[in-house]
Amino acid sequence: MNCIALLGQPNSGKSTVFNQLTGSRQHVGNWPGKTVEKSEGTYSYNNKKYTVVDLPGSYGLSGNSDEEIITEQFIKSGQADLVCVLVDASQLERSMYMLADFASMDVPSILILNMMDVATSQGKKIDDKLISERLGIPVLPFTAADGKGFDGLKSLIAGELKTPHKLVTESMTDANAKYAWINSILEGAASTSEKTYTISGFDRIMLKPFWGKVMTILIILVGFLAAMLIMSPFMSVAGMLPQVLGAPIAGFLNGLNVHPWLVSVFSLLIPNTFYFCISMSAFVFGVNVVFGFLEEIGFLARAAYQFDGALSKLGLQGKAVAPILMGMGCTIGGASGTRVMDNWGQKMLTMMVVWAVPCASIWSIIPVISGMFFPAWGTALVCIGIILYIFVLMFIVSRVFGGKLVPESTRSGMIMELPPYHKAHWKYIIKEAWIKCFDMFKRALKTVTLVSIIFWAFSFSPSGNVESSLLYKVGTFIEPVTRIFGMGWRTFMAFITAAFAKEAVLGTLNAVFAGQSNVADVAFNAATGGVDTSALSQMMTQTISGAEALAFMFACTFSVPCLMALSTTYKESHSLKWTAKTAGFYILAALILSCIVYHIALPFLG
Amino acid sequence: MKLSEMKADRTGTVKSLGRDERFLKRITSVGLTEGARFQVVKNDRKMPVLVYARETLLALNRRDCDMIEVAEVEA
Repeated sequence: MNCIALLGQPNSGKSTVFNQLTGSRQHVGNWPGKTVEKSEGTYSYNNKKYTVVDLPGSYGLSGNSDEEIITEQFIKSGQADLVCVLVDASQLERSMYMLADFASMDVPSILILNMMDVATSQGKKIDDKLISERLGIPVLPFTAADGKGFDGLKSLIAGELKTPHKLVTESMTDANAKYAWINSILEGAASTSEKTYTISGFDRIMLKPFWGKVMTILIILVGFLAAMLIMSPFMSVAGMLPQVLGAPIAGFLNGLNVHPWLVSVFSLLIPNTFYFCISMSAFVFGVNVVFGFLEEIGFLARAAYQFDGALSKLGLQGKAVAPILMGMGCTIGGASGTRVMDNWGQKMLTMMVVWAVPCASIWSIIPVISGMFFPAWGTALVCIGIILYIFVLMFIVSRVFGGKLVPESTRSGMIMELPPYHKAHWKYIIKEAWIKCFDMFKRALKTVTLVSIIFWAFSFSPSGNVESSLLYKVGTFIEPVTRIFGMGWRTFMAFITAAFAKEAVLGTLNAVFAGQSNVADVAFNAATGGVDTSALSQMMTQTISGAEALAFMFACTFSVPCLMALSTTYKESHSLKWTAKTAGFYILAALILSCIVYHIALPFLG
Repeated sequence: MKLSEMKADRTGTVKSLGRDERFLKRITSVGLTEGARFQVVKNDRKMPVLVYARETLLALNRRDCDMIEVAEVEA
């Protein structure tokens, strides 16, 4: 079996090489008994199949973390026929440290000098032939992100599997000996850059304590606008599906005298499910393109530098800033963005914190509901209250789970390199975002269809009146309990839908408050934007108090973000236990919050 | 003196990286070893310290920089 392992520090572009080599033929699982992710993929070259193992991101092989231990054991086990060591050509001396650590392992290897384009643009000259001569293994200058040169890499790998080479080294005892060895290899083979560093260009603003933070926030906001632009064409096309398909399908099926249940499923449920999955995937695509770009040009590293101090207070570190900012757009994007974290504990804690950040969908429903009950200044206060509570909740999460996930003894502050700004490889960014978006679409189609069917079954009323739906029966049965938390059966049902999808909240409210018409019809039509808010407003204000509305809004915002965020959290954490803990905590915290808000607001808003 | 106390644009060498084994391994993997020469690029209050060493610009958590003993050298 031809098994190739990729080894390199997290910023060496290792995952780029892995993704470009294997495309979508990847399998992600767990290393046995550990929460560390195991990525494996395959590719074919000249009719031969090759397996590629992406070794967990680590900085060295000194057994510093689960990731490093796994990496070291895997290489020692001899399961890999060839190890490709990746280094950043633009920062050769530092990034060769991984090779020096690896040198003690007696296995066939090649060295890939990645990001040659950046090195060249900095005017660096690297004599790869001389380096190869000194190391005794092949050295390949490479730019993984532009997608060229992969044929060269594949043919090199094929050749090395036939006639392998091993590193020629002396034994190195400590870190200084390792760097001395690196210097002896690079001596005369690579030009070094300036001895002193001057902050230049954009960094003069980006690295300022105050203005840097302002710039970060501004750029992120512009980024979200760009993400909206990217996804809006997809969403508007998908938005036409229910209208374009609904009536003809219904007409056709009615003509065949099919049972109304089936008509409703095919004309309403299925087109709406498709619409929903497409628009959600478009969201994930837009957010990933923008953040992929911001990461690649080197902006996110600056953002991490800016917010390290604040995040340290949560037991996290600067790198967590990117997923948290992504979460402002979409929690799904934020959860998958936690990959940049150094270890599993930090990754899980970051995901839990990301859940506390209301996503863009929430901001599209809160002002609508608030506007029904309160004047403009009141709505402003509600929004400010929600924003302030984000910080409270983040703090609570870090206090409750921080000690367990990131114990004091393993807490590590930020040690991060600020790469020079460089040009983005658009093709790669879009390809990556597309893979994520498509994966998301496939998962969404499965889960959303299932949940839609359940919801549809609950809300379908044979008589067309809400009182004959299962939703009403269950809702009113448990109402005495939900009242404790400040919510009647109607708002509680909408609270439950909010944990599945925020987009469905207005639809559900419309369905449960309207009462007279067919609940399923109202709920699903509303999901595509057909809510008559003034009618809903009239019905809601007549039925529930301002205090209940307020409690509901807070509960909704800070509950489980959505079904797909839950699914993504499981996918990224590989831990059912911690995913369940996160969901359980958020539901409980939302109910307690609702209870508190209701009872405080009751005397004023009765 | 501590790294966190060193002013911007000064050059120094690392005297000691502290005793924490994990931190030691982690920081050496990015190029800061005992005896290594570096330049402080930026050191603002409450912000990570920006250090340039082995051709790399590094952002280091402030609290960690309290553990690093350095000596200033003439550029």
